[in-house]
Amino acid sequence: MSTLYALLFYVATALLVVGTAIKIRTYARTPAPLKIPTTPAPTTRSGVFWRMFREIAFFESLFKSNKWIWLFGYMFHVALALILLRHFRYFTTGWFWVDWVQPFGVYASFAFVLGLAGLWARRFVVERIRYISSPSDHLMLALLLGIGLSGMGMKFVAKTDIVAVKVFFQGLMRFQINDLPTHPALLIHLGLVALLMIIFPISKLLHAPGVFFSPTRNQVDDPREKRHLAPWAAQLEK
Amino acid sequence: MKRLFVLLMLLAGLSAAPVLAGDLGPVVPRASGKPHPEGNEFWRINHMLLMVHDRDQTMRLGNREVQASLAECVDCHAVKGADGAPVSAEDERHFCRTCHDYVAVKIDCFQCHNSRPEAPKQALRTPEPADMPGILAYLKEAGE
Repeated sequence: MSTLYALLFYVATALLVVGTAIKIRTYARTPAPLKIPTTPAPTTRSGVFWRMFREIAFFESLFKSNKWIWLFGYMFHVALALILLRHFRYFTTGWFWVDWVQPFGVYASFAFVLGLAGLWARRFVVERIRYISSPSDHLMLALLLGIGLSGMGMKFVAKTDIVAVKVFFQGLMRFQINDLPTHPALLIHLGLVALLMIIFPISKLLHAPGVFFSPTRNQVDDPREKRHLAPWAAQLEK
Repeated sequence: MKRLFVLLMLLAGLSAAPVLAGDLGPVVPRASGKPHPEGNEFWRINHMLLMVHDRDQTMRLGNREVQASLAECVDCHAVKGADGAPVSAEDERHFCRTCHDYVAVKIDCFQCHNSRPEAPKQALRTPEPADMPGILAYLKEAGE
C-alpha cells in the first residue's frame, strides 16, 4: 500500500508540475490581438498590478457582480489557502509561521466545507446555473468536499499517526518509501488529493494560473496613447 | 509521452533504492516504567484524547477517582539533561517536544502543569498531639 501511494504521488506530482507548466506556456504564447480591458480600467502598468492584486486577493469582479456567490467563493478560497499553509507542516520542520498558522487552518476547515456546500447548492438551486452545469463542475466540488471531509474526519473523529504520515512524505522527498498508516480516512484523503493533482492541468481549476492571463483584466487602458499591435499582426503590416 | 515514461521509470528506480527509514522522523526517548497495555501505536494517535477526557472528568465533573494523572506521564517519560536532572518542556529534548515540534503541534499542558517529575508532596507540617485541642477548637468555631 505504501509503495502504491508513493508511486501515485510521484506520478501525480509530475503530471501536476509538467502539465501546469505546459498550460501556462500555452497561455503565455496565446496572442491577445485586441485591446479589451474592461473599463473603467487603470491607465498605467502599476495601476494594472493593483487591479490584478485586488482581483486575486479580494475577487473584485465577482464581488461587483454577485454578492452571495462571492461570499461562498471567497470563503472557500481563503479557507483553502489557510489549509494549504497548515499542511506545510508535513514538508518542513521548525518554520515559525507554519507553527503559527496551525489553529487558523483548523478553523478554516469549517469555512472550507461551508463554502463548497454553498457553491454546490448554487449548481442545483439556481435554475440557469443548473442548466449549464457539466459533470466536471460537480466532480470538482465533490472532490474538494471529499478531501475536506476526510481531512476533518482525521482531525475531529478518528485520528491517525501524523508523525508516521510526515515520515512517509519526508521519505518521498528523498526517494525512500516509508510505511504509510493504513487509516481509511487517510487513504481516501490522499487518494482524492492525488486525483485532484492529476486532473488539475486538464480541468477548470486552471483558473488559478489563468486569471493572470485575462486580457480584460491585465491590459492597460492606453489605446489612444499607444497603438496596440500584436506581433503576428505587425508581421502582416510589413 | 516517451519523455514522461522515462521520467516515471527514473522515479521508480530511485524509489527502489535502499530504504533508510528512521532517520527522517523524531527519535522518541525511551521511558522508564511498564509499557502501556494499549500499545504505543494507540498512544501515539490518541494520547491527547485520553488526557482531555481525564481533564474533563477531574476538573469539570469533579471525579477524583480517575486512575491516571499527567504527573505520572511526566514521571515515566522524563528525559535527563546534561546535568542529570530532567529537562522541562522549555528544552527541545523534552519527551513531548520531540514529536510535537516535528509536526508543529503546540503543547498547552505545561502552561499550568509541571513538565518535570515532582518530588512527592508533603504537608508543610504534620499535626502533633499537642496541637489537637487548638485545631479542634478552631474547627468547632468555624463550624458554628
